[in-house]
Amino acid sequence: MKNPIFDIDNWHEIGATLSRNKTRTFLTAFGIFWGTAMLAMLWGGAAGLKGMLMRNFDGLATNMAVFDGERTTISYKGFNKGMKVKLNQNDLEGFRNRVPHIDASSGIKMQTGNLAYNTKSKTGVFIRGAEPEFFEIQLPVVYKGRLFNEADVKERRKVVEIGKNIANELFGDEDPVGKFLSINGIYFQIIGVLGQTGEFTIGEKMDDSVTIPQNVMRDAFGLDNAIDFVMFTAEKGYDPNDVKPDLMRVLRSNHPIHPDDENAIWFMNVAEQFRMVDNVFLGVSLLALFVGAGTLIAGIIGVGNIMWIIVKERTQEIGIRRAIGAKPKDIIMQVLSEGVVLTVIAGMAGIVFATLVLFIVDKATYDPLTGSAHFMLMFSHAIAIMFIFLILGTAAGLIPSIKAMKIKPIEAMRDK
Amino acid sequence: MIIDLKDVNKTYPGAVPLHVLKGINLGIEQGELVSIMGASGSGKSTLLNILGILDNYDTGEYRLDNVLIKDLSENHAAELRNKMIGFVFQSFNLISYKNALENVALPLFYQGVSRKKRNQMAMEQLERMGLADRSHHLPGELSGGQKQRVAIARALITNPKLILADEPTGALDSKTSKEVMQVFRDLNKEGMTIVIVTHDPEVAKATDRMIKIEDGLIVPEKTKIITSFDNKNV
Repeated sequence: MKNPIFDIDNWHEIGATLSRNKTRTFLTAFGIFWGTAMLAMLWGGAAGLKGMLMRNFDGLATNMAVFDGERTTISYKGFNKGMKVKLNQNDLEGFRNRVPHIDASSGIKMQTGNLAYNTKSKTGVFIRGAEPEFFEIQLPVVYKGRLFNEADVKERRKVVEIGKNIANELFGDEDPVGKFLSINGIYFQIIGVLGQTGEFTIGEKMDDSVTIPQNVMRDAFGLDNAIDFVMFTAEKGYDPNDVKPDLMRVLRSNHPIHPDDENAIWFMNVAEQFRMVDNVFLGVSLLALFVGAGTLIAGIIGVGNIMWIIVKERTQEIGIRRAIGAKPKDIIMQVLSEGVVLTVIAGMAGIVFATLVLFIVDKATYDPLTGSAHFMLMFSHAIAIMFIFLILGTAAGLIPSIKAMKIKPIEAMRDK
Repeated sequence: MIIDLKDVNKTYPGAVPLHVLKGINLGIEQGELVSIMGASGSGKSTLLNILGILDNYDTGEYRLDNVLIKDLSENHAAELRNKMIGFVFQSFNLISYKNALENVALPLFYQGVSRKKRNQMAMEQLERMGLADRSHHLPGELSGGQKQRVAIARALITNPKLILADEPTGALDSKTSKEVMQVFRDLNKEGMTIVIVTHDPEVAKATDRMIKIEDGLIVPEKTKIITSFDNKNV
């Protein structure tokens, strides 16, 4: 016999039987359609949710950590426990000189202050004293102007980066770059307008704060050499946790911290947070897959069920076909190919529908700064879903088709 | 001999095994028009099924056109049915969602004949049955007599050695019955071997030879040899 796939007559047969009972065909197709659509939407949706959460960390180096001095919990070298460990410039220098595998680092000082420009003023604004490498660790959006650099630090220039919202409030339509802004009565020249894409922040977001070089901040406001915390990124191929022992050694040599006192230093590994998010969403993806697979299996069982009923209903017809010369193989092929054709068409419709829904959700959650959250189904996933469906659809049609094959013409003839 | 049965036995297994055919001996020559009569439960349906290679028998021998039909695989049985036997049933057994032409052409589909050739041959058979103008009607749009003629056309399309008809007039009124019987007689004149299973004496009378089956055995007939002898001399 000819290859059934290329035989137009087989397709005519399939089309004729499927269109014979349109309601039943539609309901079966809908089961499959919904199964694939659910699986595809959950799969793509999980990816989108992860994208949305990761957007909060946008602009942040993924292998970054923050540390700060806390209160000691063990008495040491004659100092009572409960003493606050205050980080200072020495620690920063020691950290930079003696701890290997550090990429970028910046000590940060924090303070609130009052801003004034012409007749407008704003009180209680978060002032961040940072070093130029800070902008490598937490990548800002530069709306206007430039970022301060090593030259500004060296020359101790009184320059300031102001947040986008502050620029709007104090300057309106006026271009703030080059203007002088009073911070607690001291004038700084504005060199840039910044914002941030992600939500991660210590203190205020860059949009709502001002950032000045740390050494200039100390000079201008007459502050001591204490720093509030240090941000750094590990070199490529290293995790921030890898450098923690060296870091602790440096801090212990500078401060009376007991060797067993793990709580004297606050150490937050953002890389770990990233990994946690990854793990959470691995879980979400698995759950989505599980639920989707459940829906899919329900759809497949529906196909099997309907095929079974179809075979029962068509006992007589199959008997006639057998009597006039259909071989068991012909009957199996017919029932199976009906199931496969139904599965493929409905499955593709499901994937198309899911893609459309994901597209709309993606558009709705689109953020002009950070872009798409990637509510989308990967092509390979779509193919995988189709493939699974095809195999399961065939399997579901197999039992009814074997039953159909076993129909003896005489039994069918008796069914009058 | 086109049909040659020797001591064919058939028992349906079960809690009480049912011995249906108790040693059937039967010979039917090429070109005969034969009726097999019997009350229900006499074993005539079982005999028809065995003749039509729709069912197996336990012991004995059945030769169809000198081919021993015994313990065939499903595939081989299907092939032989397709090529050697044309079936006509009481309830027509047409496929309801296929039109007359497609129904007639269906046996050729399973032979792998191309659609064009198939439809052309089916049209010829419908013309032969005088139903050319009904070729695109669904079975539901045809009268009983027309349906049976479509079924006969379907039986004829593979150019079989033998037509097996199971109560072909059972669902028809007496006038249509006569017409259908006339169709069989005409086919027989053209040389077709036809075996009709019936319980209707009128139908049996319209055939050349009557075979009675009773309680799983053929009732010996005095006229049997003469009838077949006459038939041969025609």
